[in-house]
Amino acid sequence: MRAFDVFTAKDSRHAVALLAEHAATSKVKVLAGGTDLLADLKFASASHAPDVVVDISRIEDLRSIAVTGDGLSIGALVTHTEIMRSPLIRDMFPAMVNAAHTIGAVQTRNLGTLGGNLVTAVPSVDSGPTLVALDALVTVLGPAGRRQMPLAEFFVGPRKTALKPDELLLEILIPTTSLGKPTCFLKFGLRKGQALALVNVAASFWVDRARNAFVAPRIALGAVAPKVVHASTAEAYLEGRAIAPEAMVEAGRLAVGDAKPISDFRASAEYRRDLVAVLTRRALEGAYELAKAKQSEK
Amino acid sequence: MTKVTLNVNGETRTASVPPEMTLLRLLREEFGLTGAKLGCDVGDCGACTVIVDGKTVNSCLMLAPQADGRDVLTVEGLATMERLHPIQKAFEEKGSLQCGFCGPGVIMSAKALLDENPDPSVLEIRDALAGNLCRCTGYSKMIEAIQDVARGDNRQPVGESA
Ligand SMILES: Cc1cc2nc3c(=O)[nH]c(=O)nc-3n(C[C@H](O)[C@H](O)[C@H](O)COP(=O)(O)OP(=O)(O)OC[C@H]3O[C@@H](n4cnc5c(N)ncnc54)[C@H](O)[C@@H]3O)c2cc1C
Ligand code: FES
Ligand code: FES
Repeated sequence: MRAFDVFTAKDSRHAVALLAEHAATSKVKVLAGGTDLLADLKFASASHAPDVVVDISRIEDLRSIAVTGDGLSIGALVTHTEIMRSPLIRDMFPAMVNAAHTIGAVQTRNLGTLGGNLVTAVPSVDSGPTLVALDALVTVLGPAGRRQMPLAEFFVGPRKTALKPDELLLEILIPTTSLGKPTCFLKFGLRKGQALALVNVAASFWVDRARNAFVAPRIALGAVAPKVVHASTAEAYLEGRAIAPEAMVEAGRLAVGDAKPISDFRASAEYRRDLVAVLTRRALEGAYELAKAKQSEK
Repeated sequence: MTKVTLNVNGETRTASVPPEMTLLRLLREEFGLTGAKLGCDVGDCGACTVIVDGKTVNSCLMLAPQADGRDVLTVEGLATMERLHPIQKAFEEKGSLQCGFCGPGVIMSAKALLDENPDPSVLEIRDALAGNLCRCTGYSKMIEAIQDVARGDNRQPVGESA
Protein backbone atom coordinates (compact mmCIF):
# COMPACT_ATOMS: atom_id res chain seq x y z
CA MET A 1 0.00 0.00 0.00
CA ARG A 2 1.18 3.51 -0.76
CA ALA A 3 2.02 5.53 2.35
CA PHE A 4 -0.58 7.83 3.90
CA ASP A 5 -1.20 9.57 7.21
CA VAL A 6 -4.01 8.43 9.49
CA PHE A 7 -5.90 10.88 11.67
CA THR A 8 -8.35 9.50 14.21
CA ALA A 9 -11.59 11.43 14.61
CA LYS A 10 -13.05 11.75 18.12
CA ASP A 11 -16.60 12.64 17.04
CA SER A 12 -18.43 13.58 13.87
CA ARG A 13 -17.61 17.31 14.17
CA HIS A 14 -13.95 16.49 14.59
CA ALA A 15 -14.11 14.23 11.52
CA VAL A 16 -15.59 17.01 9.40
CA ALA A 17 -12.97 19.45 10.71
CA LEU A 18 -10.21 16.99 9.78
CA LEU A 19 -11.74 16.51 6.32
CA ALA A 20 -11.98 20.27 5.77
CA GLU A 21 -8.44 20.81 7.01
CA HIS A 22 -6.90 18.22 4.71
CA ALA A 23 -9.25 18.29 1.70
CA ALA A 24 -7.83 21.63 0.60
CA THR A 25 -4.29 20.36 0.11
CA SER A 26 -4.43 16.56 -0.11
CA LYS A 27 -6.48 13.63 -1.28
CA VAL A 28 -8.49 12.56 1.78
CA LYS A 29 -10.46 9.38 2.42
CA VAL A 30 -12.78 8.45 5.26
CA LEU A 31 -12.15 5.06 6.87
CA ALA A 32 -15.03 3.31 8.65
CA GLY A 33 -14.86 -0.51 8.75
CA GLY A 34 -12.29 -0.53 5.97
CA THR A 35 -13.67 -3.62 4.24
CA ASP A 36 -14.10 -1.72 0.98
CA LEU A 37 -11.50 0.97 1.44
CA LEU A 38 -8.53 -1.22 2.35
CA ALA A 39 -9.11 -3.55 -0.56
CA ASP A 40 -9.30 -0.45 -2.80
CA LEU A 41 -6.17 1.13 -1.34
CA LYS A 42 -4.13 -1.97 -2.00
CA PHE A 43 -4.90 -1.70 -5.71
CA ALA A 44 -5.20 2.07 -6.06
CA SER A 45 -3.04 3.72 -8.70
CA ALA A 46 -0.84 6.57 -7.47
CA SER A 47 -3.32 9.12 -8.82
CA HIS A 48 -6.19 7.63 -6.79
CA ALA A 49 -4.36 6.81 -3.58
CA PRO A 50 -5.11 9.18 -0.69
CA ASP A 51 -2.42 11.06 1.24
CA VAL A 52 -4.61 11.32 4.31
CA VAL A 53 -7.06 8.87 5.85
CA VAL A 54 -9.53 10.07 8.47
CA ASP A 55 -10.38 7.11 10.71
CA ILE A 56 -13.95 7.46 11.95
CA SER A 57 -14.17 3.90 13.34
CA ARG A 58 -13.89 5.09 16.95
CA ILE A 59 -16.63 7.71 16.80
CA GLU A 60 -19.29 6.86 19.37
CA ASP A 61 -22.03 9.27 18.25
CA LEU A 62 -22.66 7.41 14.96
CA ARG A 63 -23.50 4.01 16.43
CA SER A 64 -27.02 4.29 17.73
CA ILE A 65 -30.16 2.55 16.51
CA ALA A 66 -33.17 4.44 17.88
CA VAL A 67 -36.70 5.54 17.13
CA THR A 68 -36.91 9.33 17.21
CA GLY A 69 -39.71 11.75 16.36
CA ASP A 70 -38.65 11.50 12.71
CA GLY A 71 -38.50 7.72 12.38
CA LEU A 72 -35.94 4.95 12.88
CA SER A 73 -32.48 6.46 12.94
CA ILE A 74 -29.47 4.22 12.27
CA GLY A 75 -25.99 5.67 12.74
CA ALA A 76 -23.61 5.39 9.78
CA LEU A 77 -21.16 3.29 11.84
CA VAL A 78 -23.65 0.60 12.81
CA THR A 79 -22.18 -2.67 11.50
CA HIS A 80 -24.05 -5.34 9.56
CA THR A 81 -23.66 -7.66 12.57
CA GLU A 82 -25.23 -5.02 14.83
CA ILE A 83 -28.16 -4.67 12.42
CA MET A 84 -28.69 -8.44 12.52
CA ARG A 85 -28.71 -8.38 16.33
CA SER A 86 -30.82 -5.29 16.93
CA PRO A 87 -34.15 -6.35 18.51
CA LEU A 88 -35.68 -3.09 17.25
CA ILE A 89 -34.71 -3.74 13.63
CA ARG A 90 -35.60 -7.43 13.86
CA ASP A 91 -39.06 -6.49 15.00
CA MET A 92 -39.73 -3.64 12.57
CA PHE A 93 -37.77 -4.67 9.50
CA PRO A 94 -36.78 -8.33 9.23
CA ALA A 95 -35.89 -7.48 5.61
CA MET A 96 -32.99 -5.37 6.88
CA VAL A 97 -31.75 -8.28 8.98
CA ASN A 98 -31.97 -10.58 5.96
CA ALA A 99 -30.15 -8.07 3.78
CA ALA A 100 -27.37 -7.63 6.35
CA HIS A 101 -27.02 -11.41 6.64
CA THR A 102 -26.31 -11.72 2.90
CA ILE A 103 -23.35 -9.32 3.05
CA GLY A 104 -20.00 -11.08 2.85
CA ALA A 105 -19.27 -13.39 5.78
CA VAL A 106 -19.07 -12.95 9.56
CA GLN A 107 -15.68 -11.21 9.44
CA THR A 108 -16.89 -8.68 6.86
CA ARG A 109 -20.15 -8.05 8.70
CA ASN A 110 -18.33 -7.51 12.00
CA LEU A 111 -16.25 -4.68 10.51
CA GLY A 112 -18.37 -3.42 7.61
CA THR A 113 -20.75 -0.57 8.37
CA LEU A 114 -24.10 0.44 6.90
CA GLY A 115 -22.66 3.87 6.07
CA GLY A 116 -19.67 2.39 4.26
CA ASN A 117 -21.92 0.06 2.28
CA LEU A 118 -24.08 2.97 1.07
CA VAL A 119 -21.18 5.34 0.35
CA THR A 120 -19.39 2.69 -1.72
CA ALA A 121 -22.59 2.63 -3.79
CA VAL A 122 -21.87 -0.33 -6.03
CA PRO A 123 -25.01 -1.12 -8.10
CA SER A 124 -25.36 -4.42 -6.17
CA VAL A 125 -25.18 -2.72 -2.74
CA ASP A 126 -27.12 -5.15 -0.56
CA SER A 127 -28.43 -2.70 2.02
CA GLY A 128 -29.68 -0.38 -0.75
CA PRO A 129 -32.93 -1.90 -2.06
CA THR A 130 -34.65 -2.37 1.33
CA LEU A 131 -33.83 1.18 2.41
CA VAL A 132 -34.86 2.68 -0.94
CA ALA A 133 -38.12 0.71 -0.77
CA LEU A 134 -38.72 2.21 2.67
CA ASP A 135 -38.15 5.76 1.34
CA ALA A 136 -35.14 6.16 3.65
CA LEU A 137 -33.36 9.50 3.97
CA VAL A 138 -29.70 10.12 4.70
CA THR A 139 -28.24 12.93 6.77
CA VAL A 140 -24.79 14.24 5.92
CA LEU A 141 -22.61 16.77 7.72
CA GLY A 142 -20.20 19.14 6.00
CA PRO A 143 -18.46 22.43 6.71
CA ALA A 144 -21.73 24.26 5.88
CA GLY A 145 -23.78 22.12 8.28
CA ARG A 146 -26.21 19.25 7.88
CA ARG A 147 -28.31 18.36 4.87
CA GLN A 148 -30.78 15.58 4.29
CA MET A 149 -31.86 13.85 1.09
CA PRO A 150 -33.63 10.68 -0.04
CA LEU A 151 -31.26 7.72 -0.28
CA ALA A 152 -32.54 7.20 -3.84
CA GLU A 153 -31.01 10.60 -4.73
CA PHE A 154 -27.89 10.08 -2.61
CA PHE A 155 -27.04 7.24 -5.01
CA VAL A 156 -25.85 8.89 -8.23
CA GLY A 157 -24.23 6.10 -10.25
CA PRO A 158 -21.81 3.18 -9.95
CA ARG A 159 -19.59 4.04 -6.95
CA LYS A 160 -20.87 7.62 -7.06
CA THR A 161 -22.94 9.40 -4.43
CA ALA A 162 -24.01 12.97 -3.77
CA LEU A 163 -21.49 13.14 -0.90
CA LYS A 164 -18.80 15.82 -1.28
CA PRO A 165 -15.20 14.97 -0.33
CA ASP A 166 -15.44 17.05 2.85
CA GLU A 167 -18.78 15.60 3.94
CA LEU A 168 -19.55 12.78 6.34
CA LEU A 169 -22.57 10.48 6.22
CA LEU A 170 -24.11 10.66 9.70
CA GLU A 171 -27.27 8.60 9.75
CA ILE A 172 -29.86 6.73 7.77
CA LEU A 173 -33.44 7.61 8.64
CA ILE A 174 -36.45 5.42 7.88
CA PRO A 175 -39.30 7.91 8.10
CA THR A 176 -42.21 7.49 10.51
CA THR A 177 -44.54 6.82 7.57
CA SER A 178 -42.58 3.63 6.80
CA LEU A 179 -42.18 2.29 10.34
CA GLY A 180 -43.21 -1.36 10.44
CA LYS A 181 -44.16 -1.40 6.76
CA PRO A 182 -44.14 -5.03 5.59
CA THR A 183 -41.02 -5.41 3.46
CA CYS A 184 -39.17 -8.31 1.91
CA PHE A 185 -35.57 -8.39 0.58
CA LEU A 186 -34.30 -11.11 -1.75
CA LYS A 187 -30.83 -11.53 -3.20
CA PHE A 188 -29.74 -13.92 -5.88
CA GLY A 189 -26.02 -14.70 -5.98
CA LEU A 190 -24.06 -17.56 -7.50
CA ARG A 191 -23.29 -19.03 -4.08
CA LYS A 192 -24.93 -18.78 -0.68
CA GLY A 193 -21.91 -17.28 1.05
CA GLN A 194 -19.72 -14.35 0.06
CA ALA A 195 -21.26 -13.70 -3.34
CA LEU A 196 -22.26 -10.37 -4.82
CA ALA A 197 -25.85 -10.09 -6.01
CA LEU A 198 -26.68 -10.83 -9.65
CA VAL A 199 -29.95 -9.15 -8.78
CA ASN A 200 -31.35 -8.00 -5.45
CA VAL A 201 -34.89 -6.78 -4.90
CA ALA A 202 -36.93 -5.31 -2.07
CA ALA A 203 -40.71 -4.94 -2.07
CA SER A 204 -42.77 -3.08 0.48
CA PHE A 205 -46.42 -2.09 0.79
CA TRP A 206 -49.23 -1.39 3.24
CA VAL A 207 -52.45 -3.31 2.98
CA ASP A 208 -55.81 -1.54 2.76
CA ARG A 209 -57.77 -3.89 5.02
CA ALA A 210 -61.24 -3.03 3.77
CA ARG A 211 -60.42 -3.66 0.11
CA ASN A 212 -57.40 -5.96 0.56
CA ALA A 213 -55.49 -3.66 -1.79
CA PHE A 214 -51.90 -2.43 -2.20
CA VAL A 215 -51.18 0.94 -0.60
CA ALA A 216 -47.94 2.83 -1.25
CA PRO A 217 -46.25 -0.13 -2.98
CA ARG A 218 -42.50 0.23 -3.43
CA ILE A 219 -40.19 -2.04 -5.41
CA ALA A 220 -36.46 -1.34 -5.48
CA LEU A 221 -34.07 -3.18 -7.77
CA GLY A 222 -30.32 -3.55 -7.35
CA ALA A 223 -27.53 -4.67 -9.72
CA VAL A 224 -29.66 -4.06 -12.81
CA ALA A 225 -28.98 -0.35 -13.38
CA PRO A 226 -26.13 2.10 -12.60
CA LYS A 227 -27.69 2.51 -9.15
CA VAL A 228 -30.55 1.12 -7.07
CA VAL A 229 -33.76 2.06 -8.90
CA HIS A 230 -37.48 2.06 -8.22
CA ALA A 231 -39.52 -0.18 -10.49
CA SER A 232 -41.81 2.80 -11.07
CA THR A 233 -44.07 1.20 -13.69
CA ALA A 234 -44.70 -1.80 -11.46
CA GLU A 235 -45.32 0.45 -8.45
CA ALA A 236 -47.86 2.56 -10.37
CA TYR A 237 -49.60 -0.59 -11.58
CA LEU A 238 -50.00 -1.95 -8.04
CA GLU A 239 -51.16 1.24 -6.33
CA GLY A 240 -54.73 0.72 -5.13
CA ARG A 241 -55.05 -2.62 -6.93
CA ALA A 242 -56.57 -5.67 -5.19
CA ILE A 243 -53.92 -8.00 -3.81
CA ALA A 244 -53.86 -11.18 -5.89
CA PRO A 245 -51.21 -13.61 -7.19
CA GLU A 246 -51.82 -12.46 -10.79
CA ALA A 247 -51.14 -8.84 -9.82
CA MET A 248 -47.81 -9.87 -8.32
CA VAL A 249 -46.84 -11.79 -11.46
CA GLU A 250 -47.77 -8.80 -13.62
CA ALA A 251 -45.78 -6.44 -11.36
CA GLY A 252 -42.77 -8.73 -11.85
CA ARG A 253 -43.22 -8.57 -15.60
CA LEU A 254 -43.49 -4.76 -15.52
CA ALA A 255 -40.43 -4.45 -13.25
CA VAL A 256 -38.34 -6.02 -16.02
CA GLY A 257 -39.08 -2.95 -18.12
CA ASP A 258 -37.85 -0.70 -15.29
CA ALA A 259 -34.48 -2.52 -15.17
CA LYS A 260 -31.54 -1.87 -17.48
CA PRO A 261 -29.23 -4.77 -16.74
CA ILE A 262 -25.88 -5.34 -18.40
CA SER A 263 -24.12 -8.57 -19.27
CA ASP A 264 -20.90 -9.27 -17.42
CA PHE A 265 -18.86 -12.27 -16.31
CA ARG A 266 -21.40 -13.07 -13.58
CA ALA A 267 -24.54 -13.20 -15.71
CA SER A 268 -26.10 -12.11 -18.99
CA ALA A 269 -28.58 -9.25 -19.17
CA GLU A 270 -31.23 -11.73 -20.28
CA TYR A 271 -30.71 -13.90 -17.19
CA ARG A 272 -30.86 -10.83 -14.97
CA ARG A 273 -34.16 -9.77 -16.56
CA ASP A 274 -35.66 -13.18 -15.77
CA LEU A 275 -34.39 -12.85 -12.21
CA VAL A 276 -36.04 -9.43 -11.85
CA ALA A 277 -39.45 -10.87 -12.78
CA VAL A 278 -39.13 -13.85 -10.44
CA LEU A 279 -37.58 -12.03 -7.49
CA THR A 280 -40.04 -9.13 -7.70
CA ARG A 281 -42.98 -11.52 -7.54
CA ARG A 282 -41.43 -13.48 -4.68
CA ALA A 283 -40.56 -10.30 -2.75
CA LEU A 284 -44.17 -9.11 -3.09
CA GLU A 285 -45.36 -12.50 -1.85
CA GLY A 286 -42.91 -12.32 1.04
CA ALA A 287 -44.05 -8.84 2.06
CA TYR A 288 -47.67 -9.99 1.91
CA GLU A 289 -46.94 -12.99 4.16
CA LEU A 290 -45.40 -10.58 6.66
CA ALA A 291 -48.39 -8.24 6.43
CA LYS A 292 -50.76 -11.12 7.16
CA ALA A 293 -48.61 -12.34 10.06
CA LYS A 294 -48.54 -8.86 11.56
CA GLN A 295 -52.30 -8.59 11.22
CA SER A 296 -52.94 -11.88 12.98
CA GLU A 297 -50.67 -10.83 15.88
CA LYS A 298 -53.00 -7.95 16.61
CA MET B 1 5.46 6.32 12.09
CA THR B 2 2.64 5.71 14.57
CA LYS B 3 2.98 4.14 17.97
CA VAL B 4 0.45 1.40 18.63
CA THR B 5 -0.12 -0.43 21.90
CA LEU B 6 -2.43 -3.38 21.99
CA ASN B 7 -3.18 -6.40 24.09
CA VAL B 8 -2.20 -9.48 22.12
CA ASN B 9 -3.08 -12.86 23.63
CA GLY B 10 -3.11 -11.30 27.09
CA GLU B 11 0.18 -9.41 26.80
CA THR B 12 0.64 -5.70 26.18
CA ARG B 13 2.63 -5.21 22.98
CA THR B 14 3.88 -1.96 21.50
CA ALA B 15 5.34 -1.11 18.11
CA SER B 16 6.15 1.92 16.05
CA VAL B 17 4.85 1.30 12.53
CA PRO B 18 3.93 3.11 9.34
CA PRO B 19 0.23 4.07 9.63
CA GLU B 20 -0.68 2.15 6.48
CA MET B 21 0.51 -1.14 7.98
CA THR B 22 -2.27 -3.72 8.39
CA LEU B 23 -2.94 -5.53 11.66
CA LEU B 24 -1.95 -8.76 9.88
CA ARG B 25 1.50 -7.44 9.03
CA LEU B 26 1.86 -5.96 12.51
CA LEU B 27 1.18 -9.38 14.03
CA ARG B 28 3.40 -11.32 11.67
CA GLU B 29 6.29 -8.96 11.02
CA GLU B 30 6.55 -6.91 14.22
CA PHE B 31 5.34 -9.39 16.82
CA GLY B 32 6.50 -12.61 15.14
CA LEU B 33 3.04 -14.18 15.40
CA THR B 34 2.80 -16.02 12.11
CA GLY B 35 -0.30 -18.07 12.90
CA ALA B 36 -2.60 -15.70 11.01
CA LYS B 37 -1.75 -16.17 7.35
CA LEU B 38 -1.60 -13.83 4.39
CA GLY B 39 -3.81 -15.39 1.73
CA CYS B 40 -5.73 -13.07 -0.57
CA ASP B 41 -5.05 -9.78 1.29
CA VAL B 42 -8.51 -8.46 0.31
CA GLY B 43 -10.97 -10.04 2.74
CA ASP B 44 -12.06 -13.05 0.71
CA CYS B 45 -10.23 -16.05 2.18
CA GLY B 46 -10.23 -15.63 5.98
CA ALA B 47 -6.71 -17.06 6.42
CA CYS B 48 -5.88 -13.89 8.38
CA THR B 49 -8.86 -14.18 10.78
CA VAL B 50 -8.16 -13.01 14.35
CA ILE B 51 -10.49 -11.98 17.16
CA VAL B 52 -10.56 -8.28 18.03
CA ASP B 53 -12.57 -7.25 21.09
CA GLY B 54 -14.47 -10.55 20.91
CA LYS B 55 -15.33 -10.43 17.20
CA THR B 56 -13.63 -12.09 14.24
CA VAL B 57 -12.13 -9.77 11.67
CA ASN B 58 -9.96 -10.18 8.62
CA SER B 59 -6.73 -8.69 9.92
CA CYS B 60 -5.65 -7.88 6.35
CA LEU B 61 -8.50 -5.34 6.25
CA MET B 62 -7.72 -3.55 9.50
CA LEU B 63 -5.03 -0.92 9.88
CA ALA B 64 -2.63 -1.26 12.80
CA PRO B 65 -3.69 2.18 14.16
CA GLN B 66 -7.30 0.93 14.22
CA ALA B 67 -6.24 -1.90 16.52
CA ASP B 68 -4.52 0.49 18.94
CA GLY B 69 -5.81 -0.09 22.47
CA ARG B 70 -7.81 -3.16 21.53
CA ASP B 71 -7.71 -6.80 22.65
CA VAL B 72 -6.46 -9.12 19.93
CA LEU B 73 -6.57 -12.90 20.16
CA THR B 74 -4.67 -14.99 17.62
CA VAL B 75 -4.35 -18.77 17.28
CA GLU B 76 -1.12 -18.58 19.31
CA GLY B 77 -3.22 -17.47 22.27
CA LEU B 78 -5.27 -20.68 22.41
CA ALA B 79 -2.93 -23.51 23.36
CA THR B 80 -0.42 -23.75 26.19
CA MET B 81 2.77 -25.82 26.01
CA GLU B 82 0.97 -28.57 27.90
CA ARG B 83 -2.44 -28.55 26.33
CA LEU B 84 -4.16 -27.87 23.04
CA HIS B 85 -7.33 -25.83 23.07
CA PRO B 86 -10.41 -28.13 22.86
CA ILE B 87 -11.09 -26.92 19.30
CA GLN B 88 -7.53 -27.70 18.25
CA LYS B 89 -7.76 -31.08 19.95
CA ALA B 90 -10.99 -31.88 18.13
CA PHE B 91 -9.49 -30.81 14.80
CA GLU B 92 -6.53 -33.09 15.46
CA GLU B 93 -8.72 -36.04 16.39
CA LYS B 94 -11.04 -35.64 13.41
CA GLY B 95 -8.24 -34.95 10.95
CA SER B 96 -10.07 -31.77 10.05
CA LEU B 97 -7.18 -30.15 8.20
CA GLN B 98 -4.94 -31.23 5.36
CA CYS B 99 -2.33 -28.65 4.35
CA GLY B 100 -3.41 -26.54 7.32
CA PHE B 101 -3.02 -23.10 5.75
CA CYS B 102 -6.64 -22.18 6.46
CA GLY B 103 -6.51 -23.71 9.96
CA PRO B 104 -5.64 -20.75 12.18
CA GLY B 105 -8.41 -18.69 10.59
CA VAL B 106 -10.98 -21.49 10.73
CA ILE B 107 -10.15 -22.20 14.37
CA MET B 108 -10.53 -18.54 15.34
CA SER B 109 -13.92 -18.41 13.57
CA ALA B 110 -14.96 -21.57 15.41
CA LYS B 111 -13.77 -20.10 18.72
CA ALA B 112 -15.78 -16.89 18.25
CA LEU B 113 -18.84 -18.93 17.28
CA LEU B 114 -18.67 -21.25 20.30
CA ASP B 115 -17.99 -18.35 22.69
CA GLU B 116 -21.29 -16.80 21.66
CA ASN B 117 -23.29 -19.88 20.81
CA PRO B 118 -22.17 -23.01 22.72
CA ASP B 119 -24.62 -25.26 20.88
CA PRO B 120 -24.68 -24.24 17.21
CA SER B 121 -26.65 -26.04 14.51
CA VAL B 122 -24.84 -27.29 11.39
CA LEU B 123 -26.29 -24.33 9.50
CA GLU B 124 -24.95 -21.93 12.10
CA ILE B 125 -21.52 -23.57 11.89
CA ARG B 126 -21.53 -23.30 8.09
CA ASP B 127 -22.55 -19.64 8.34
CA ALA B 128 -19.73 -18.99 10.80
CA LEU B 129 -17.19 -20.59 8.44
CA ALA B 130 -18.49 -19.00 5.22
CA GLY B 131 -15.64 -16.48 5.29
CA ASN B 132 -12.92 -19.10 5.66
CA LEU B 133 -11.96 -20.74 2.41
CA CYS B 134 -10.34 -24.17 2.52
CA ARG B 135 -9.00 -25.53 -0.75
CA CYS B 136 -8.17 -28.99 0.60
CA THR B 137 -10.80 -30.50 2.80
CA GLY B 138 -14.41 -29.81 1.88
CA TYR B 139 -15.19 -28.61 5.43
CA SER B 140 -17.10 -31.70 6.66
CA LYS B 141 -14.51 -32.78 9.23
CA MET B 142 -14.22 -29.21 10.51
CA ILE B 143 -17.95 -29.05 11.07
CA GLU B 144 -17.91 -32.43 12.83
CA ALA B 145 -15.04 -31.30 15.04
CA ILE B 146 -16.89 -28.15 16.04
CA GLN B 147 -19.98 -30.23 16.83
CA ASP B 148 -17.81 -32.51 18.98
CA VAL B 149 -16.52 -29.55 20.94
CA ALA B 150 -20.05 -28.24 21.40
CA ARG B 151 -21.15 -31.66 22.71
CA GLY B 152 -18.06 -31.97 24.88
CA ASP B 153 -17.04 -35.23 23.11
CA ASN B 154 -13.46 -34.18 22.55
CA ARG B 155 -12.73 -34.22 26.25
CA GLN B 156 -12.66 -38.02 26.12
CA PRO B 157 -9.16 -39.44 25.89
CA VAL B 158 -8.05 -40.38 22.39
CA GLY B 159 -8.85 -43.98 21.46
CA GLU B 160 -11.77 -44.38 23.81
CA SER B 161 -14.15 -42.27 21.79
CA ALA B 162 -14.83 -44.97 19.18
C1 LIG C 1 -15.07 -10.35 1.28
C2 LIG C 1 -16.04 -9.24 1.10
C3 LIG C 1 -17.35 -9.52 0.78
C4 LIG C 1 -18.28 -8.50 0.61
N1 LIG C 1 -19.55 -8.83 0.30
C5 LIG C 1 -20.47 -7.86 0.12
C6 LIG C 1 -21.82 -8.20 -0.21
O1 LIG C 1 -22.18 -9.37 -0.32
N2 LIG C 1 -22.71 -7.19 -0.38
C7 LIG C 1 -22.35 -5.89 -0.26
O2 LIG C 1 -23.20 -5.02 -0.43
N3 LIG C 1 -21.07 -5.53 0.06
C8 LIG C 1 -20.14 -6.48 0.24
N4 LIG C 1 -18.85 -6.14 0.55
C9 LIG C 1 -18.48 -4.74 0.61
C10 LIG C 1 -18.32 -4.12 2.00
O3 LIG C 1 -18.03 -5.05 2.99
C11 LIG C 1 -19.53 -3.33 2.46
O4 LIG C 1 -19.86 -2.38 1.49
C12 LIG C 1 -19.28 -2.62 3.81
O5 LIG C 1 -20.52 -2.31 4.37
C13 LIG C 1 -18.46 -1.37 3.70
O6 LIG C 1 -18.42 -0.72 4.96
P1 LIG C 1 -17.06 -0.29 5.65
O7 LIG C 1 -17.44 0.33 6.94
O8 LIG C 1 -16.12 -1.41 5.70
O9 LIG C 1 -16.57 0.81 4.63
P2 LIG C 1 -15.12 1.42 4.36
O10 LIG C 1 -14.32 0.47 3.59
O11 LIG C 1 -14.55 1.97 5.61
O12 LIG C 1 -15.56 2.64 3.45
C14 LIG C 1 -16.14 2.45 2.18
C15 LIG C 1 -16.24 3.79 1.45
O13 LIG C 1 -17.17 4.63 2.10
C16 LIG C 1 -16.55 5.79 2.60
N5 LIG C 1 -17.19 6.01 3.90
C17 LIG C 1 -17.44 5.06 4.85
N6 LIG C 1 -18.16 5.56 5.85
C18 LIG C 1 -18.39 6.85 5.56
C19 LIG C 1 -19.10 7.91 6.21
N7 LIG C 1 -19.76 7.71 7.38
N8 LIG C 1 -19.13 9.14 5.64
C20 LIG C 1 -18.50 9.34 4.46
N9 LIG C 1 -17.82 8.38 3.78
C21 LIG C 1 -17.78 7.16 4.32
C22 LIG C 1 -15.07 5.51 2.60
O14 LIG C 1 -14.32 6.67 2.38
C23 LIG C 1 -14.94 4.56 1.43
O15 LIG C 1 -14.89 5.27 0.24
C24 LIG C 1 -17.89 -7.15 0.74
C25 LIG C 1 -16.56 -6.87 1.09
C26 LIG C 1 -15.65 -7.89 1.27
C27 LIG C 1 -14.24 -7.56 1.63
S1 FES D 1 -5.70 -12.61 3.71
FE1 FES D 1 -7.21 -11.57 4.79
S2 FES D 1 -9.02 -12.45 4.04
FE2 FES D 1 -7.53 -13.35 2.76
S1 FES E 1 -6.46 -27.56 4.83
FE1 FES E 1 -5.51 -26.76 3.08
S2 FES E 1 -6.63 -24.93 2.78
FE2 FES E 1 -7.70 -25.85 4.35
